Amino acid sequence: MVRLLILISATFLAFAAHPADGSDAPNRYQLRAGIDVSYINASGYTSWTEGFVGKLLYDDNNEDLKISQAFVDANFQLTDTLKAHAVVDAYDDGIGSIVGFTQAYIEWRPVPRSKNRYRLKVGAFYPHMSLENVSAGWNSPYTMSFSAINTWIAEELRTVGAELSVSRRPETFGGAHTFSLQGAVFVANDPTGSLLAWKGWSAHNRQSRFGDQLPLAPLPQIQPGGVFEEQDPYIEPFREIDSRAGYYVGGEWQFNQQLLIRAMHYDNRADPTAFEDGQYAWATKFEHIAAQVSLPGDWDLLFQWMTGTTVMGPVTNGAHMVDTEFDSKYLMLTRTIDRHRLSFRYDIFEVTQNDKTDEDNNPEEGNVWTVAYFYELSNKVWLGAESMIIKTHRCAWEYYGIDETRTEKQLQLTVRFRFGS
Amino acid sequence: MTISRLSILRIGDQLCRIAARMIGLFVPLLFATSVFSSDVDVFVVDRDGQRVADVAVYAVKLDGQMDLPAPTKNAVMDQIDRQFVPHLLVVQTGTPVEFPNSDTVAHHVYSFSHPNKFVLPMYKGEQHAPVTFDHSGVVSLGCNIHDHMLGYILVVDSAAFTKTDENGHASLSLEVPEEYVINIWSPRIRDRDEFLSKALVTLDKPTSEVIFSLAKKLTPPHRGHSDRMSWSDY
Repeated sequence: MVRLLILISATFLAFAAHPADGSDAPNRYQLRAGIDVSYINASGYTSWTEGFVGKLLYDDNNEDLKISQAFVDANFQLTDTLKAHAVVDAYDDGIGSIVGFTQAYIEWRPVPRSKNRYRLKVGAFYPHMSLENVSAGWNSPYTMSFSAINTWIAEELRTVGAELSVSRRPETFGGAHTFSLQGAVFVANDPTGSLLAWKGWSAHNRQSRFGDQLPLAPLPQIQPGGVFEEQDPYIEPFREIDSRAGYYVGGEWQFNQQLLIRAMHYDNRADPTAFEDGQYAWATKFEHIAAQVSLPGDWDLLFQWMTGTTVMGPVTNGAHMVDTEFDSKYLMLTRTIDRHRLSFRYDIFEVTQNDKTDEDNNPEEGNVWTVAYFYELSNKVWLGAESMIIKTHRCAWEYYGIDETRTEKQLQLTVRFRFGS
Repeated sequence: MTISRLSILRIGDQLCRIAARMIGLFVPLLFATSVFSSDVDVFVVDRDGQRVADVAVYAVKLDGQMDLPAPTKNAVMDQIDRQFVPHLLVVQTGTPVEFPNSDTVAHHVYSFSHPNKFVLPMYKGEQHAPVTFDHSGVVSLGCNIHDHMLGYILVVDSAAFTKTDENGHASLSLEVPEEYVINIWSPRIRDRDEFLSKALVTLDKPTSEVIFSLAKKLTPPHRGHSDRMSWSDY
């Protein structure tokens, strides 16, 4: 905490000393930074980040003032059409180093010569999925903790590769409609899916950095003598294990800033029998659908649904040793009036098991209720409060002699600082 | 009697002189307003009877012989809050158009509309030459940094152009007697082109009226970038 504080202080002093928005024309860089200071009151199992099974970042041992978020988001315009974008997040939770990159990529945006706009991203970045994570540093302006789907994306999903997108300029369709298509080829996302099987869904705002080692609970199957005893007690989600590239394809339709529909098919094409340096490759596929609608009275409705499978290990008894299906959806209602933003979200999540490996027991089901409120004190400071209740039934918890059904709660009071333009 | 008759004649003579002087003063004025130009009121109405605002209206002579005065001042297409302002700008062919940037972020304005293509490199402030459009037609504008930005410049071979106000009304002052074609254009209008032009003969009368009743449903008005739906970052 002290090291994190020193680091953050230095960063923000640098921001304060720097003329935030100089008059130089053209301005070829954009620096944004954020820090959330929160009072947390949580009850639940010891957090998964501490190596146990709690679905939240915080637990009974954590009633304290916390730095619940700290990031720097930098854009550099290399040429008129070439942009470099990097995001650094800081956590002092012992998972990897204090600071690390969550994204780093170059985007080429050639000036359109027709009604088609082409954009090419190369590097490490998030796939174009979340409707919540639209603010600097892939953060949410609506809630402090992400939905279960976007929490998992933050934990385990990243494109390390190239994504090409083409969108049709809106005047093609009378100025009201915009269509776009994306396709990507990526590597280094082979262990992805393991947390969904072995930990299950979560709800928090921690974004895995490159190099992070995400702890696993002391699962019996990864202990000496267990069926997966070779597995390290942590997951390195951004590893290439089988030398096979994955892909995703997606599309989006926007109607006049009133309606957005997004769909995607993802397949990491991992070889489920591959293993390297304590990490298994998990063959993970999913479909994702997202929709956002502007409703009367300044309300917005957001919806995301993800459903897929992840398998690992050789086929025995007609199924891979680990063969799970995962599914989650959420509905969020959010309203912004003047300086107030109020958001309600309801998530449901599920993991089902198709394999017959008894000692690898992964099914779970649950739901999350979230209410969050932000008040914009100035364009740099927000005050926020969030209450989250997550109820889970997870069979594997019997391993630890704890209740298989548990309701975990978290109350968070936050002062949110944002710097830069 | 004689004196009085003489007096009356004198008075009558004077009155005639005054009258003649008055006529001499006012007739040319009347002539000037009624003979050289006529105000044309143009109304644009959608299929539900609602007046349509922000529609470009311009007149060209039927024989195509338009004496275009040299443009006297530059037109301005600004960028405010990551929007083109105005959303639709009408200019005479050959008018230099300035693209100042009132935002604190840089913009990179382009158009691929043939033959008026152009690119303004990334810029902030007003440090570049205006763009002159030498060909008539629709120039659709984009910003290569902010994909949601959309604007239009309608370049016309006419000095008689304007846009409808919030009451769907526009007024043009045209020479008389002449044969004109009155044209309207808006990105929202989906009616076929032949329904967007009307012939008009300006006669020796002070005003005339042209009504465009649109048959097809308009596309929704352009909605600007809103913070509620800021999807562009990721």
